[in-house]
Amino acid sequence: MSILTSSGRVAGAASVGRTKRLRPSYWPFVVPALIVVVGVIVFPWVFTLWMSAMEWRIGEEQRFVGLQNYVRLATDVRFLEAMAHTLVYTALSVVAPLVLGTAAALAFNTKLPARGLLRGIFVMPMMATPVAIALVWTMMFHPQLGVLNYLLSQIGIGPLQWVYHPSTVILSLVLVETWQWTPLVMLIVLGGLASLPTEPYESAQIDGATAWQRFRYLTLPMIKPFLMVAVIIRSIDALKSFDILYTITQGGPGTASETINLYLYSVAFTYYDVGYGSAIAVVFFVLIILLSLVLLHLRQRSAWNSGDGK
Amino acid sequence: MASVSIRNVRKSYGPVEIIKGVSIDIRDGEFVILVGPSGCGKSTLLRMIAGLEEISGGTIAIDDRVVNDMPPKDRDIAMVFQNYALYPHMTIADNMSFALRLKNTAKSEIAAKVERAAGILGLGPLLDRFPRQLSGGQRQRVAMGRAIVRDPKVFLFDEPLSNLDAKLRVQMRTEIKEMHQRLKTTTVYVTHDQIEAMTMADKIVVMHDGIIEQVGAPLDLYDNPANMFVAGFIGSPAMNFIPGSIGGDGFTTEDGSRLPLGGRVPAASDGRPAVYGVRPEHFRLADEGLAAEVVVVEPTGSETQMVLRPLGSKAGQAGAGREDRKRELTWVLRERTGARPGEVVRIAPDPARAHLFNPDTGLRL
Repeated sequence: MSILTSSGRVAGAASVGRTKRLRPSYWPFVVPALIVVVGVIVFPWVFTLWMSAMEWRIGEEQRFVGLQNYVRLATDVRFLEAMAHTLVYTALSVVAPLVLGTAAALAFNTKLPARGLLRGIFVMPMMATPVAIALVWTMMFHPQLGVLNYLLSQIGIGPLQWVYHPSTVILSLVLVETWQWTPLVMLIVLGGLASLPTEPYESAQIDGATAWQRFRYLTLPMIKPFLMVAVIIRSIDALKSFDILYTITQGGPGTASETINLYLYSVAFTYYDVGYGSAIAVVFFVLIILLSLVLLHLRQRSAWNSGDGK
Repeated sequence: MASVSIRNVRKSYGPVEIIKGVSIDIRDGEFVILVGPSGCGKSTLLRMIAGLEEISGGTIAIDDRVVNDMPPKDRDIAMVFQNYALYPHMTIADNMSFALRLKNTAKSEIAAKVERAAGILGLGPLLDRFPRQLSGGQRQRVAMGRAIVRDPKVFLFDEPLSNLDAKLRVQMRTEIKEMHQRLKTTTVYVTHDQIEAMTMADKIVVMHDGIIEQVGAPLDLYDNPANMFVAGFIGSPAMNFIPGSIGGDGFTTEDGSRLPLGGRVPAASDGRPAVYGVRPEHFRLADEGLAAEVVVVEPTGSETQMVLRPLGSKAGQAGAGREDRKRELTWVLRERTGARPGEVVRIAPDPARAHLFNPDTGLRL
């Protein structure tokens, strides 16, 4: 039975057994790493927390205000809208690449002619610089001069405003994000597909499963751990997304595509309200941590190939 | 319950023909074992019955319905694979009920069938576990349970015991046989292990290089092998083959020793080259017999196996090669023996149970 306990618990037990007191003569060896961690991770965060409790505008007197910045956030319509934009943008930028990437992985997993070449071409968007991508897409989105509207006109669909209209701007940005990051999901899922056992598919065939049922009841549950990895990576990436948004729309038109990142940037570096900006950063940080925890928990539950799967 | 009729079935991969026209009739409720060495086409044939491989020529019919172009799910068969092929992300209960759930069977009926199968196989306490939490034998039982709940016309087994250890294999052999006696479902079973074939089958089909060498009841194959391949393949340790020629009322080995034929001399065969086949257990000590030196003695408790080197044969001389080694004889005796390597014994075959084969065609004379 002890073999069946999850690897996490076994590893945990082992490390508990090893936590002896560190001998004082070993301490100097920890110091360099400690300095780096404190300097790069701990200090900025503590400093941000401290700033978020201050009224701190660049060039003005600093004043301790406690939680006042956070209270202000709760009633800041622009912040709440930015939060909504961020969540919508993130959700779409996770789901669309996930669906398309999985479909692409399934296609690349078959004996396609010229599979290697096609796969190479398919992953190219991932390698491009975000700012370069953003500039190219900005041109393509142009309502009069852009190639997208030209292509649509060929199939009889009227000109769209793309990133120049509040109702389509987020969808258009998601399109760019999807174009760039679908290949990543495809690579992750393709790796998962390659690791699947082949025998269950034969027994499923005999058990009477159609191609769709084999995908629904075998492939999908078996690649779920890989899909969860893709979801985690995509969620964190999409939440953090800044470069493409800033280059293409800078949050516009108006504030229709302003995400928390963009709002934070404006508050801190356009309005120089460092204290308030820090409060936004802290809230955003907590949001990312919570989301990551939920996703990691889900990922662990989805694992059928390790631990005891409960 | 169903009969399976295989008519002149062929299978080719490109220009390579794997199965070269095979016909087998399997009666309703029969336990048929396809046996043969690796690469003889037995698994391919089974997969063609299952519908996992296309049939290049000939027909396969289940219950008189030709199934050549029928997908596996419509053939009403269940298959147990060598590596179990369980669904790793499903519990044992889900594994067993998967086929029924696909058919939208009523929940109460599924539960009853799973419970019945679990009862037959002793899987009751394991239903909530996952395959990875089970031992090899338990997994194999789940694979069988999955087949049982389907209540199919035909069970197909593809080397189901190969991944188990020796002790478990013997136990599962009995369980499968018991299961067949209880359910009386037509069964086609593939193995390379002739002991499995001998112990379990109603009928054995010996295959070799894509053709059928012989079909028959286990003891029938043992007593009356059609050719040298079957004679050598069925029975363990394998039959001894002694080359020589027929002369007078007996057989003269290449070394000049005489072996009795018990008056069963084939007509018009004087001086004709032949191979004398005798099973290891059909030798006895005899003063007038073949003189041979004991090479190895292997007692197993219930019996003793001895490797002997006939005197005068090249096998005993320095520089004896692999070919000469083949001249060595195996003798199995029920009694215990004090014989030691290096001693010389004289043994004679039981002429009533010896066979003569044509050295060119391998057929029994």
